[in-house]
Amino acid sequence: MARGFKADRRDFLNKEQCRLLHENSCRLLAETGIELEQGRAVDIFTGAGASYEQGRVKIPARLVEDTLTRINKNFSLKGAVPENNLNISAENPVSYFGTGGQALNVLDYKDGSFCKREAVGSDLVNIIKICEELDNVDYITRPVEPDVARERIDIEKTKIFQANTRKHINLANLVVKEKLPEILKLVKDKELISFISCVPVSPLKLEKNTAEKFIDIVNNDIAVAISSCPQAGMTAPLSEPGELLQVNTELLAAIILANLIKPGARVMYRGIPITSNLHLDNSPRWSQPDSIKRVAAITSMTYFYGVPCCGTCAVADEKEPNAQNISEKILSWTMELASGAQYINSALGMMEQVMTVSPEQYIIDDMLITMLKEAFTAAAGLENRDLRQIVTATAAKGFSALGAVCNDEITAEINKRLDFIFTEREAYNRESLEKQLLLIQKAVLSGKSSAVFMRKSRAGLRKGFLYAGNRISGKLDLQNIIKKKDNILNKG
Amino acid sequence: MEEKELLEKIRENVISGRIDQEDEGLEGDMEGQPGVTELVEQAIENKISADKILSEAINPGMEEVGKRYENGDFLIPDMLAAAECVGEATKILKPLLLENAAEGKGKFILATVEGDLHDIGKNIVSTIVTGAGFDITDLGVGVKAEKIVEAVKNSGAKYLGLSALLTTTMGRMQEVIEMLEKEGLRQQVKVLVGGAPVTAEYAKKIGADIYCDDAFDAIHKLEKT
Repeated sequence: MARGFKADRRDFLNKEQCRLLHENSCRLLAETGIELEQGRAVDIFTGAGASYEQGRVKIPARLVEDTLTRINKNFSLKGAVPENNLNISAENPVSYFGTGGQALNVLDYKDGSFCKREAVGSDLVNIIKICEELDNVDYITRPVEPDVARERIDIEKTKIFQANTRKHINLANLVVKEKLPEILKLVKDKELISFISCVPVSPLKLEKNTAEKFIDIVNNDIAVAISSCPQAGMTAPLSEPGELLQVNTELLAAIILANLIKPGARVMYRGIPITSNLHLDNSPRWSQPDSIKRVAAITSMTYFYGVPCCGTCAVADEKEPNAQNISEKILSWTMELASGAQYINSALGMMEQVMTVSPEQYIIDDMLITMLKEAFTAAAGLENRDLRQIVTATAAKGFSALGAVCNDEITAEINKRLDFIFTEREAYNRESLEKQLLLIQKAVLSGKSSAVFMRKSRAGLRKGFLYAGNRISGKLDLQNIIKKKDNILNKG
Repeated sequence: MEEKELLEKIRENVISGRIDQEDEGLEGDMEGQPGVTELVEQAIENKISADKILSEAINPGMEEVGKRYENGDFLIPDMLAAAECVGEATKILKPLLLENAAEGKGKFILATVEGDLHDIGKNIVSTIVTGAGFDITDLGVGVKAEKIVEAVKNSGAKYLGLSALLTTTMGRMQEVIEMLEKEGLRQQVKVLVGGAPVTAEYAKKIGADIYCDDAFDAIHKLEKT
């Protein structure tokens, strides 16, 4: 059976909102430009007609528009067996769920509680083995790096993947640029692997060394998800339109670069506009309703451009598998799947803001995704009321399967989070986006962008831009989950 | 504006974190009204002494901000904005304070260690510590141990803040401390460490003097030294 889940989709931003975001991104690219140190990437931009002034590449709107006509809208990725192949398409979208990385820690379940420790090489092997067996893992992103010397990481992880999975392999980052030919020699077929490149750094910068690796990946025609993950209030405006404008500008710059390197490059747009915990410690809020809403909304830009979308969701903020954790994940999956993201990254196993993975969590998530797909299939449409039904039904079923009860109090909290997502707090119009553009310009050119964004976030915090609800508490009965995990790992 | 009223306005604007008239304030409706820098300049023109501006307007304003933060009424950006105001006001007042030989709280070197390019946490510490009256030299990100130790040596700094956000780079903090020992500078300087992967246990293990949860924790602990 072919992999992937085909569901209806809805736009969280309408065409006019997308058009305004695009126009203002073009203005930022042309007027403010992207910070980039001298190197091959600067040469590629300037060779195509961009200017380079005071360390910033300024890309004229005509170059943006011309290059966008060369975007690759459809490409295939392979597994080691044909049934694991994936068709990534912005025109005929199918959603695939994958895992994410890179976590530093692994949770071990012992005597009824979880203990955290640093990840080691055997964790990479075990997690890949678990993912190989799970129906809803369509591709595997390396969850943790092998604990070997830096120079050996790329080759070691490629070999571990090859030995333990027949699914499509996402190696995530290329650690040592010079190892790419050796990786290609090992895998033989470039469509068997993909990468993630965090070449954009917020705000409005492309990182030179990452760009060097990115150029080699694109030149070799390997699929790559271009990732930008600002934190609203810290490295981007707290305002939703402001953050979306910035993330779109950063990704547009990198997509232009990719298509200048190789027209029709196999790239995916991976926008992760999350928020910061400005109430407490500035930590990223991966799975709070404000972040979930923004991440789902940015998918609309990928349909506006016709570029394949690498979605990111279900990175729980909780530190271990529990009721709050699964409530975050269900809400996050629902919105991302409804948005029409195709290559959905970080969907399983991940928690504590990408710091931690747990073998048990992969199995819980696989079970919940099955329930979620059933709820999507049963839904009449994707209006707000339908999404509410999908989330509450999946939560009720998931809680029950894990020995917990989704009581009235929990249902009320879930509905409150949905209300937040469905409520428009800010205008996306010419005036509001102009204000946000000026803020981004000011932050970038001041040399102290985080202070500018934080200062400006004070009023937004008082207007409730960050969701403030209640934590859902409750322990889960994990006996069946643990049994399944042990069965997989004991298969040898 | 009368002296009392002007000092009160400065205090209020420190609390609101409004550096200048462009700042919209806590509720987003104050743009166009004079902020701390304009008000401090006006106070100087009105011959109010720098000591008085500090002791009767700026310091009480910042104390109030601290109280509101501890009560949970104020959030991190509010504290940061207020600290920035104090930093800017101090810049204006510094020449006048030097005339009167008023002393700051001491020189403070700050850096993110080699191999680590994260600067958000460090920048917040820089702003807050400046606002608290320390003379900050920010060496930036990815700074080699040799450069940090040289800066301590040349400046005679009493405090050194080291930041790391990665488990792979936090080991560099120990290198700096060992190099300070080797250069005979360890007794001269108090070493503060912080960053996401750093813990109090780790700080103790590498011989740091103070572990800081965040910028505000750093200020609290510095006040006790």
